[in-house]
Amino acid sequence: MSISDTSVSSPLVKRSWKSRFDLDQQTAFLGLVLVSPVVVYLLIAQAYPFASAAFTSFTDKRIGVPGEFIGLGNYLELAKTPLFWQAARNSVLFTALAIITKLILGMIMALVLNQKLVLQNLWRALLFLPWTIPTIVTVLTFQWMYSSTGGVFNYLLLQTDVIQRPIDWLGTPMNAMISVVLVNVWRGTPFFGISLLGGLQAIPAEQYEAAQIDGANVWQRYWYITLPAIRDVALLVTIVSTIWTLNDFQIIWVLTRGGPANTTQVFSTLTYTTAFLNLDLGLAIAISLAAVPFLVILIWWATRYVLRRES
Amino acid sequence: MKARHRVSQFVTYALLAIMLVIALFPIYWIFITSIKPSAQIYALVPSLWPTNPTGIGYTNLFEKTEFVAWVFNSAIVAIIVSASSIFLSSLAAYALARFQFAGREFIGMLILVAYLLPPALLFIPLYILVTRLGLAQSIVGLVFVYPTITVPYATWVLTSYFRSLSVDFEEAAMIDGCSRLGALRHVTLPLAGPGVVATFIFAFTLCWSEYLYALVILSGQTQTIPIGLAGLIVADVPKWNEIMAGAMITSIPVVILYTVASRYIVSGLTLGGVKG
Repeated sequence: MSISDTSVSSPLVKRSWKSRFDLDQQTAFLGLVLVSPVVVYLLIAQAYPFASAAFTSFTDKRIGVPGEFIGLGNYLELAKTPLFWQAARNSVLFTALAIITKLILGMIMALVLNQKLVLQNLWRALLFLPWTIPTIVTVLTFQWMYSSTGGVFNYLLLQTDVIQRPIDWLGTPMNAMISVVLVNVWRGTPFFGISLLGGLQAIPAEQYEAAQIDGANVWQRYWYITLPAIRDVALLVTIVSTIWTLNDFQIIWVLTRGGPANTTQVFSTLTYTTAFLNLDLGLAIAISLAAVPFLVILIWWATRYVLRRES
Repeated sequence: MKARHRVSQFVTYALLAIMLVIALFPIYWIFITSIKPSAQIYALVPSLWPTNPTGIGYTNLFEKTEFVAWVFNSAIVAIIVSASSIFLSSLAAYALARFQFAGREFIGMLILVAYLLPPALLFIPLYILVTRLGLAQSIVGLVFVYPTITVPYATWVLTSYFRSLSVDFEEAAMIDGCSRLGALRHVTLPLAGPGVVATFIFAFTLCWSEYLYALVILSGQTQTIPIGLAGLIVADVPKWNEIMAGAMITSIPVVILYTVASRYIVSGLTLGGVKG
């Protein structure tokens, strides 16, 4: 169907005679009708379960058994549990290491891709690949490369004499943390790189030329022109990525299950273990909600940033 | 000046080369493992090139595992969820971008918050809800929960996309007698086509790759690709050629779709697809 065969009954003349108020009322009503399916769905599938789960965290509900109200019982129990605090420390460590590394590497990637290169688009597409392939593929591949039997990382490092003895990538506390961070970094760096590249490309070339004429060297140009210009993008990407890195589940769960000896146990894996292995739903929700204050701050910050950029 | 230029050129290409090796080696390793014969997988000296390429990993994957069923499940869920999310989201996004109404900004903000809310916070609440609805252990449960990922994302991205489109054509169509919805259907949607297609593709890949909700809701009954593949690691000596064959087949459609979609990427879309 084309435009022409829909009705032709209300030409401009007629419409413009209508009072503005009528039209506003009409579009306001239509607007609410159009957004309502999405809003209703999100209320049913996100807001309601979240609120009712928050209530469950004040009960001793276990899977298959109704719970009784125990007030702050779960939270008090958490505060006394060393494992909970260990998971909190691990979450912070995992997130901090991953975010800092991704930010630095993403910045280098953006700066390189912002140069005039032969086959520029090809390099860009190739460096983007780690971010596009499904996370499960990445995790399984690294598990295979880390493997102590047949794993290629140890083989290459031994061959090139970087190490003298094979590394137990996932077996010791320190190594396991670094190994899971590496997977997150490998996957997440292109997101930083591409977003920062967008920021770099918005900087007018004249600014650099002017600075060069004034005798500014490479570092000065980077410090006084590049960094201020991409600060907003960098901050936004960092906040958004922090929210998701803090809640990363898949990488750690598949690679280490939170081990060895809980040294990679983070909020999300501890929540899962508590809910589905110990079947203690109330306590599990309390664990996942413990990170909410931080998330609220981060989400509020990100939202404000995005909305400000929008307007 | 010229010498300095040459040095900086060299540094740039050297860094590029290092980054390409880091980014591509694991992908190369997926491919090369997938075409190795089973006996070569655990060889003491792993060969870095294909010496005896074989399709045994692929045929074993198809014949000895439930891979085909997983692909079917993942595809069904991803198509239904992304199609319906895009439909509902484009209606909402159009209203948010074009109409003035009470609560518009508030709803826009809620959708952004919903988008940023991580699955790790929601998986137990959703597990409880889906179990109560009797949808657990089936892909119907996934069809119910996956829009919590795709709807806020698509609504958010499409709102900024619609805003970037000029209203002139719409007004022209309405002057010619189109209704509001007629203008949306016949003018705005076709104009927004590339953005809608790209958003559909990103929504599809989000569902295709989802792990946590599928793990919790399906609880080992029926399986999607991510759960199935992870489940192949049971013994001490996993059959890595089969697993990597599965990894190849899982990744190829996503990479192709992304490459298609990234041609339409507008700035707003860069935020997409990281969740999880």
